Amino acid sequence: MPHAFRSAFAVSAFVVAGVAQEDAWWAYRPLQRPPVPAVQNAAWVQNPIDAFVLAGLEARGFTPAAAADRHALLRRVTYGLTGLPPTPEEIAAFVADDAPDAYERVVDRLLASPQYGVKWAQHWLDLVRYAETDGYERDRKKPFVWRYRDWVVDALNADMPWHEFVQTQLAGDEKPEPRVADLVATGFYRLGIWDDEPTDPEQHRYDDLDSIADTTARSLLAISMGCARCHDHKKDPLSQKEYHAFLAFFENVRPYDLAARTVPVDGARAQFERSLADYTTARSDAVAALRMAAAAVVPGEAANAPKLVAAYPGDRGSATELLDAVGERHGAMRGQIVQVPGHRGQALRFDGDDHAELPRLVEDSFTVSFFVRSDRPGAGNGNDTRWFTGTGLVDGEVSGIVRDWGIAWHSDGRIVAGSGDPETFLASGPGHHDGQWHHVAFTRDRDSGRIALYVDGVLVGEATGSKAALTAPPHLVVGRMRPGGRGFRGDLDELAFHDRALSGPEVAALAFDLPGGFAAAEAIAASPAFARLAALRRPDLETTEVLAVTEFGSEPPAAFVRLRGNVHSKGPQVEPGVPSMLGGEGVGPVRATPQSAGRRTALAQWITRPDHVLTWRVLANRLWQHHFGRGLSRSTNDFGRLGDVPTHPELLDWLACEVLARGQSLKAMHRLIVHSAAFRMGSDAEPKALAADPLNDAFWRFDRRRLTAEEVRDSVLAMAGVLNLERGGPSVYPPLPPEVLATSSRPDEAWGEATPEQAARRSLFVHVKRSLAEPLLASFDRADTDASCPVRFATVQPTQALTMLNGDFAQAHAAAFAARLLRETSGLRAQLTRGLELVTQRPARAADVDRLVLLARELRADHGRDEAQALQRCCLVLLNANEFVFLD
Amino acid sequence: MNDPTNTFCGRTRREFLWQAGAGFTALGLTDALSRDGFFGDDRKAAGPLAPKPPHHAPKARACIFLFMYGGPSQVDTFDYKPKLYPLDGKTIDIKTKGRGGSKNQGRVVGPKWNFKQYGQCGRWVSDLFPHVGRCVDDLAFVHSMYAESPLHGSAMLMMNSGRILSGAPCLGSWVNYGLGTENQDLPGFVVMLDPSGGPISGAKNWNSGFMPAVYQGTVLRPHGEPILDLAIPAGMTVREQRRLLDALREQNDAHLAPRSDDSNLAARIQSYELAFRMQAHAPEAIDLANESAATRTLYGLDDPRTEDFGRKCLLARRLVERGVRFIQIYSGGNHNDYNWDAHGDLVINHEKHAGATDRPIAALLQDLKQRGLLESTIVVWGGEFGRQPTAEYAEGTGRDHDSAGFTMWLAGGGIRGGMALGATDELGYQAVERPLHVKHLHATILQQMGLDPNRLSFFHAGLAQRLVGTEGAQPVRELIA
Repeated sequence: MPHAFRSAFAVSAFVVAGVAQEDAWWAYRPLQRPPVPAVQNAAWVQNPIDAFVLAGLEARGFTPAAAADRHALLRRVTYGLTGLPPTPEEIAAFVADDAPDAYERVVDRLLASPQYGVKWAQHWLDLVRYAETDGYERDRKKPFVWRYRDWVVDALNADMPWHEFVQTQLAGDEKPEPRVADLVATGFYRLGIWDDEPTDPEQHRYDDLDSIADTTARSLLAISMGCARCHDHKKDPLSQKEYHAFLAFFENVRPYDLAARTVPVDGARAQFERSLADYTTARSDAVAALRMAAAAVVPGEAANAPKLVAAYPGDRGSATELLDAVGERHGAMRGQIVQVPGHRGQALRFDGDDHAELPRLVEDSFTVSFFVRSDRPGAGNGNDTRWFTGTGLVDGEVSGIVRDWGIAWHSDGRIVAGSGDPETFLASGPGHHDGQWHHVAFTRDRDSGRIALYVDGVLVGEATGSKAALTAPPHLVVGRMRPGGRGFRGDLDELAFHDRALSGPEVAALAFDLPGGFAAAEAIAASPAFARLAALRRPDLETTEVLAVTEFGSEPPAAFVRLRGNVHSKGPQVEPGVPSMLGGEGVGPVRATPQSAGRRTALAQWITRPDHVLTWRVLANRLWQHHFGRGLSRSTNDFGRLGDVPTHPELLDWLACEVLARGQSLKAMHRLIVHSAAFRMGSDAEPKALAADPLNDAFWRFDRRRLTAEEVRDSVLAMAGVLNLERGGPSVYPPLPPEVLATSSRPDEAWGEATPEQAARRSLFVHVKRSLAEPLLASFDRADTDASCPVRFATVQPTQALTMLNGDFAQAHAAAFAARLLRETSGLRAQLTRGLELVTQRPARAADVDRLVLLARELRADHGRDEAQALQRCCLVLLNANEFVFLD
Repeated sequence: MNDPTNTFCGRTRREFLWQAGAGFTALGLTDALSRDGFFGDDRKAAGPLAPKPPHHAPKARACIFLFMYGGPSQVDTFDYKPKLYPLDGKTIDIKTKGRGGSKNQGRVVGPKWNFKQYGQCGRWVSDLFPHVGRCVDDLAFVHSMYAESPLHGSAMLMMNSGRILSGAPCLGSWVNYGLGTENQDLPGFVVMLDPSGGPISGAKNWNSGFMPAVYQGTVLRPHGEPILDLAIPAGMTVREQRRLLDALREQNDAHLAPRSDDSNLAARIQSYELAFRMQAHAPEAIDLANESAATRTLYGLDDPRTEDFGRKCLLARRLVERGVRFIQIYSGGNHNDYNWDAHGDLVINHEKHAGATDRPIAALLQDLKQRGLLESTIVVWGGEFGRQPTAEYAEGTGRDHDSAGFTMWLAGGGIRGGMALGATDELGYQAVERPLHVKHLHATILQQMGLDPNRLSFFHAGLAQRLVGTEGAQPVRELIA
């Protein structure tokens, strides 16, 4: 029976016998630096890693495999650190470099390459189930989720210390002054599946929280936390109550609302406030000058004075009606709209659940004006050019292409308006959700079709729309967008409807309550202050969009055990807490912020404590896993009793201590690991060791491995000479076969398009859509993104062969590969030699070249192929070679 | 952990090895496992899809799942509710939950088709399915199905993978994982989609979730190139490809020589031979040239309405003959009236979809039976849920979704014919007698195929995951002959 079986049986017996002692379980013991063992063959030891490995080998009578040759080593380390093959130039340089530190300099070069972050980001994204859509019926795109992916790449390239990497993702938003990157990192909370139409919304919200808590516990602590959701853990001393105590750290997180947040770019706030002060001063001066000009006008009725159709100053109260101060066109109250002190007299306060309905007061030429105040942004997103995606202020929207109109409070404090048939759209700048009163006027002239939007007395936009009567709305809604749209939260005052489009000066008269009213319009228009005012622009706060976490506020809800994992079945109340099986201290003090309970910061700080028993072991184990193909404990997401005990527990502890000793620098750890003689071993079998230890538990050799799905695709692109190493930005859509698109419920909308250059980006930047399987990546075992994936499968199956032989991608890139060889060198033998060397990254053997030359000749002689075609087919063979797809 | 045999640490040994980072490879560790008696005596086609011994003697070798995507209305098809007809147009008190949320009242839409009794057993079938009606003596109706969600997204996942949360393997994946495939030249789990597109959530409906991708369903197209990348590229001949593969084999053999211990490399060499054979055999499986005119007519290939679904049903029979374990055919795709989701005009919608499937389904049952295949092939009919007896909107005949009670039927594969199990209330909304969860349907299918639903497990995320969930589910004994 192989060794692994024996050790696993030993664990099983240990548990079954019921002698489990919590302090004895290997993963929960305090982390202590083990002594480096003495070994006989000290000459083999490059660094202490080797002493630990060699001590084990010597104890079992094994000798380490001979060192890999330079080509194999360069290939291994280049793929391991960057996910890419070494180039011919890199190979030549390394092979020719006789300096004793030649290898170390290669490692430094690779770690300095930005492609390092691209490779290692994928390891992390697998753990946090990174995908770019929600799954389920609509499988919506997660807006700006790619910025999270870029954040991970950048953090790894910058060698961010692990505590910062963890804390920023878990609680970047709770930092005192979070930067945009800190918020982007909290996209961590928005990566999972999300049913936007759940049958039981509360249960689904907890399913999501469960997934977040479980992903956190598995990826950072290797605790199979989710197993204790419904009942106490079957094997580990982790109670259901402790599970829910852990969940409580996350329970104040707002459920995903399918939207990104608009936030100021770093440093923009201060600049904005300076500009705003200048603007406010200039504006006050101009308004004062206008007031003086208006005051000089003799009061009287203007010749062509607009008539007031209806006015709702909000001063007289009624529980059921919104009272018209002009006539009897009262509106109906829906919900409880209350009165608060307003811009003038009383104003109406909307709480999001209420609105008022007015008759269709206007349809030809008109002006709607009011004052509005709120400290919340509206609905919609900043790129949208439809007024009706916002939160309704005064709205006559009717869905479909019809003659309607409306004014809305939009994303990021923009005030927008528009009319239908044809759709027209006007928008102010952002930032009006500042708790101040703002005057809004929307004018429409039927004869010219002109519509205009004025904010604070200044024209912000105009357009030409329909010249028909806007008769679609059966009535008008105040404080909500119809139908059933989002309700406005804020105050509205002095709502008035006039019977024609007001001129700019007339609007100014209203906005600034100028003496003389409309009669002063001419004087206003003539005043230089009016031109100055019109030229003033409220400064924009420079913003950006992030997919980030938000909480309900600083007061978290009470948390409970949920019996059998059913959210509706509350058990005892619990306080946030961490599993007691780990010993040590719990979380530190929790400090709420104005926006959040602060619990996630406390948790993140606890996870990254230097004396945490799991965090550093888990990290060290993963670093080892991705260099050696398996963790020292193979169950890298589970260090509990359902997991696998480490084959080299002392080495694991030593490495965990090194993580801390080296400032939590991942790059320093990579250096340490790949500098070891253990990493530099060859992969040849030694019969005695193979028989005694077929799973290579002892590391008597280096394990061969198949390339990952992403490495396969990226390497094919590299062979073809088209690989585009550009990093970051929205994901790309390399072409997919129509047969694959036809599996989508909306084949025409299933996928996007990309230029050939963009289609040749590295696989990390290919859009990850939950409901559509990219055939090449899927068949080579890309991670399933619905759950944390700690270890990729590495299957071999005929589908892979079909894809690599017949698929469009393989065919096209074999052709490009051949074209590259024709371009770069001449003569069949030279071309095939170079092809072989590119694919295997070692000198070509004559026999291999001979075989391909023979093939090419036969293809020409027996199969009627021309030179280019024959070479193309040889390249297809090369791309299918085992040596291309397997390392060592 | 309920499986005392073959287990340690709650895992089967094989699962342990996958988890153990040894990877999941075609031939990896086959020898060691074979010595342990893991793969039985079969060493010819070892690998993840190698035939594996069942838990018990199977009644069914194959399963054909006719998926009526969108949700057919039970009271208009197989669940006869005479009291519903006179209530047409009346608003009654009835608590329902569907896409439109929870309601306490609804306007009854009387069934739009008449029902007749068929067969020896006298089961009632509506005029939508006159051909299927003639097969009732082979059918076992379950009138009391219920599911956990009345919304397509989660309900589709439930019917296919047993859970409303995305990420679990589908029924066909479990069957292939449990039994392997008999014919290495064809995929073991085949899905045929509607010409209008896949069902919502696309590939999630035949995905292998946390299992290796080798167990996912393969989309098979009834025309042209049946499987993605199966066809040799234009301009290349078979002989030429063979020559390329020979060169590849020599190259790979040379590479393997100093690495002969590595079964993964050998497996990959083998996989190209398998792929080459698939290229020859899979097109033969979809080639109907040898099917008689009578057979083609039987399946409705002579009628544009039934041609597409009929061809797929005929292909299903051919695939069963060739050892494919699990075949799923979708009636309907895309959204709205492209499938059975009759929110608008019930009559137009159901006439269209029943009209496209009635004759082919009956033909499939009849053809399987006359060839002696029905007794070893379990055929399942149903959608992700049914439809409510009341209208969804103020006007029209459209019905909202109903997951509280709906009808499915099974046939063949050791299922008792001519019976009905369970019942909905007298209006047909809710299962009231012998309510059966989707997992009971899954358990019954696995049971008939030789797998113990409560034993078939895959170790993932610290749990012995099962299709029927942690609490398990018993097969429905009454259905089993």
